[in-house]
This record gives sequence, C-alpha cells and structure tokens, in this order.
Amino acid sequence: MSSWWTRPLVRLAAALGLPLAVPAIIAQLIWALPGDPAEIICPPERCAGTAELAARWHLDGGPWHFYVVWIQGAVRGDFGNSWRLMQGAPVQELLVTAVPTTAILLAAGLVPVVLAAVAGASGRVPRAVGPVFSLFGLVPSVVLALLAAAALELKFGAASFDEEGVRLRILAGALVLGLADGAFSDTLAGVGALFSGERKQRYVQVAVLRGEGVLANMLPNLTPALVGQMRARTLQLVSGTVVVEVVLRIDGVGDLLWNGTLLQDFGVVIPAATAYAVLSALLLALQAVVEVVVALWVRRAPRTARVAGLAGGQT
Amino acid sequence: MTRWPPALVAVAIFVALLALGAMAPEHLADSDMSRKLLGWSEAPPFGTDGSGRPLLEYVMQGARVVVLPATVAGLAVGMMSVLGGLLRCVGDARVDTAVAAFGEVVGALPRMVVILVVATLIPSSNRGLLPLALTWAVLCSPGAMDEAAAVSERLGGARFVEALRAHGFSWSRIFLYHIVALNLRPVVVRQACETLTQVTFLELALSYLAVAQQQSSFTHPDSLKSWADLLKLGYPALVTPQPGTGHILVAGLFFVGTVVLSARLGTYAARAR
Repeated sequence: MSSWWTRPLVRLAAALGLPLAVPAIIAQLIWALPGDPAEIICPPERCAGTAELAARWHLDGGPWHFYVVWIQGAVRGDFGNSWRLMQGAPVQELLVTAVPTTAILLAAGLVPVVLAAVAGASGRVPRAVGPVFSLFGLVPSVVLALLAAAALELKFGAASFDEEGVRLRILAGALVLGLADGAFSDTLAGVGALFSGERKQRYVQVAVLRGEGVLANMLPNLTPALVGQMRARTLQLVSGTVVVEVVLRIDGVGDLLWNGTLLQDFGVVIPAATAYAVLSALLLALQAVVEVVVALWVRRAPRTARVAGLAGGQT
Repeated sequence: MTRWPPALVAVAIFVALLALGAMAPEHLADSDMSRKLLGWSEAPPFGTDGSGRPLLEYVMQGARVVVLPATVAGLAVGMMSVLGGLLRCVGDARVDTAVAAFGEVVGALPRMVVILVVATLIPSSNRGLLPLALTWAVLCSPGAMDEAAAVSERLGGARFVEALRAHGFSWSRIFLYHIVALNLRPVVVRQACETLTQVTFLELALSYLAVAQQQSSFTHPDSLKSWADLLKLGYPALVTPQPGTGHILVAGLFFVGTVVLSARLGTYAARAR
C-alpha cells in the first residue's frame, strides 16, 4: 500500500458502491436468464396480460430501466412488490417485521463473539480450553441449529411458536450463530494471537518499565486489526442468519431471502440482498472511519514533543 | 509427530469419498418395507431408511454431490492464495492496491446472500453444486490472498526475491520452490482444506433447508440424495423418544465429520515439520 489512507479510501469507496452495485448486478442477471422476466411473475400458459404486468412492474424497459426505477423507489422507502412469495404484497411491509427480528438475532449473536474477543484480549483463557472450543467450533451452523430446534420442540412443543417461544427461538438462534462455524473459537484464537503478539513488542515492554498502561499503548496499534476481525465475524454471522432463521423458523430477512430464492421471487430477493449489502457497507464504512481516526491519532505528535521541538527550533 | 501419518489418513479418507461418489447409483433402490429402519448390524454397513432402502446409497450419492465440487473450490482458493502471495513478492504498489480493492469489494459481500442470489439464477434443469462451489471459492479468495500476501510480506517480499536472484537462483526455483513450496504451503493447504469443508457445510445447509420445506435442492438434481437427507430423515430421533431413526442421523453426522477430519489432518500435515 502506497499511503496510509489508501486502504480506508478503498473501503469507503466499496461501502458507497456496494448497496448500489448489488441490485444492479441482480437486475442484470435477471435479464440474463432465459425468457422474459415478466413470465416469472405471470407465465403466459397460466395467465393472460403478461405485457401489461411487465409495464406496470417496470419490466418492459430492460434491466437499467428496472434498476433505476427500483433505486428511485428504494430511496423513498418503496421496495416494490413481491413477485411470487406473496404476490403483489409490498416488500417494505415484509421488511418492517423481518429487519428488526434479524437485527435482534444478530445483536444477540454478537454477544458470545464479543465475550470471546474480551477473553482472548485478556489472555487469561487457560491453554487447555482452546482445543475444546476449537473442536466445538467445527460444528456447522445447520447441525447446531437442528439440535437447538429439537431441544425447543422437546421442551416446549407447540408453545415454542407463541410469543415467548419466538423469543426463545431467537435466543437459541443467537447462541447457534455465536458458537457454530468457529465464530466463538476463531475469535478467541484470533484476538488472543493478536494481543499476545503485540504484548511481546519492545515498545510495550518499555511502556511497562515506564509504569504506563499496557492496553493504552497497544490499542492504537491493534484497533484497525481488531475492527477488521470483528467486521469479518459480523459478516460471518450475517451469512449465518439465513440458515439459523430457516431451521429455527424465525421470521427474519434471512428467512425472507430463502423463501424468495426458492420461488425465484426477485421482488423479494433484491430488497433482502440489498438490506444485507447496506449492513455490510455500514460495517465497511465504520472500519474505514476507525482506521482514519487511529491513523490521525498515531501520526499526531504528543503535545510534550511539539513543545520540545519548538524549543529546539528556537535555540 | 511427522507429517506423513496425518497426510496419509487425510488422503485415504479423501480417496474413499471419491470412490464412494464414483460408485454412486443413478437412482435409489426400490423400497422394501420388510426391511425398513434396520440398524447397522441388521443391514450393514449403515442400515436402511423408512422405506427399506440401504443408507449406503444415500452416502454414495451424497459423496457424489459434494466431493468433486468441494475439491475444485478448494483447489481454486489454493491457487488464488498462491497468486496473492506471489503478487506481493512482485512489490508493485498499483498491483497491491488493485488486489486490495478486489478484496474489499468481494470480501464485503455476505457469502450466503451471494450464494442464494446465484442459486436463484441457475435453471432448475442444470442444478448442481459446482457453480455454487466456484462462487464460494471466489468469495473466499480475498481472505486467502490476503493471508498469503502477509506471509510473503513477512518473508521480505520483493527484497527476498532480489536476494535469491543475487544468489543466482532461477525465477521458477525462487517462486515455485522457495516461496510457494517452502513458505506459502501451510497457508495454501489450510485455505484449500477450509474451503473444502465450507463447501461441504454449504451443501448440507442448502440441501437441508430445501428438503425441510419439501423443495428441490439447488445443489443436485431430484434423482440424487445428499447427506442432508440423512440429517432430515434422522431428525425425528432427536425429538421423539422411540428409537428408530438414530442410526440415520449418526450416518449423516459421521460423513460430515469425516470430511472435517480429512481437512484438519491435511492442514496439520502441511504445517508439521
């Protein structure tokens, strides 16, 4: 990398482009499929008026026309209608219930990951525990989600679908997200390695000799890597929500996306995929901002040094 | 511990899975209700399903669905990680920036979401795991390239190449032997093995989600069964007290575990000295 700001700049550019690129690519791909996209909604052998429907749903002007109209609507909060899943239903109504559920699931799923990061950073996790967590982290999310679903069904039966049951499903889903596919164990190992490596640096040992705080000295150097790791973990959890929501029957964006995919309902797939892209873009932008702030902080000379420099210049 | 015993076990497991896949029947045998839900001892090696069909056929078809695409994806990621490591040794800032930009954009995509979008676009007549596995490989590539580039960086990057050139080594010896074989090997093998495991998990997840909703899987034609079918058939054993389908669940989990074990041993063998 040529300059310290190149990587944050690339991240910011990617963050800005991602939410625009995802629907654009899907729109292009819809037209790359064999046949007319309007026939997905209204197959000519089953219903008449395909041409009128195509005009009404902006499918008659090619992919760019469809994309531009969709983006303009999305900016106003109108994400179009479902093509097949709940034909004609506005997708924003589906998203209004799905997004908060997924957000809660994701936030709760992050709790074990953050705990693993804190434990790894403290360096107080016994060595013998590492392999146990690693072994546990090998379990795929679908298997762990199945076990969780079975446990809920056994314990609560039909009651696992009432309001309290849904809360328990979200809690179980969060545990699955936070533990499966190495989310917990890899965070523990990754953050642990990061901090233990840094503790061995000479400047940290000098800081200890000077009676300064170790963490305060290490954090500016570690924060970019730490934020990068946490972004990767969060993205992993975001991907995992699809499996967890479907297996545990949680009505979130992942479940919506899965059902839209099964039925080739691009009216649902585009907004759901864009919602995930927006979340990913926010994480990218956050990482870029943190990197810039840390870089500026590190490059800023301490006040005492500036005073000393000034004094040196005057003499 | 030397690297050979784990490497041999990993290769043996892998070859066995390949052989199982190659011998897989096109269709499952006809049902035979007189032999339904037999255990391992009564219908070796894995027992039968609720229709009396041997689970061995499920296992073989599952291997056929998953092994080849997962291997191709693993190899693709391995090659991309080699490329990432070598590009860092070139020491060109513009190349580094281009690789970083590729990594930021592709690495920022939630993988499962991309897979589902790609799955939507595959015509039902051409369903298979390979396009999804290759997509997964592309999504895994930035991480693999980044890690290999970090190894090359620690090695000295372009200065390391210059130093070896000064010793009179040829380009092929420097890049293929000193950099790839001696230094990048653990990262390349680990990334390839991890991708192989992840593609197996991906197939399992996609097929299970489809089977659970009585839909066709995106990863294979309806005539084939995957290991996810074993999990689905064995699931009642978790929620009902009566014994019957537990052996099916164990068979499914056993083969998923086998793939994980093979990948872990391969990684260990590449790392051991």
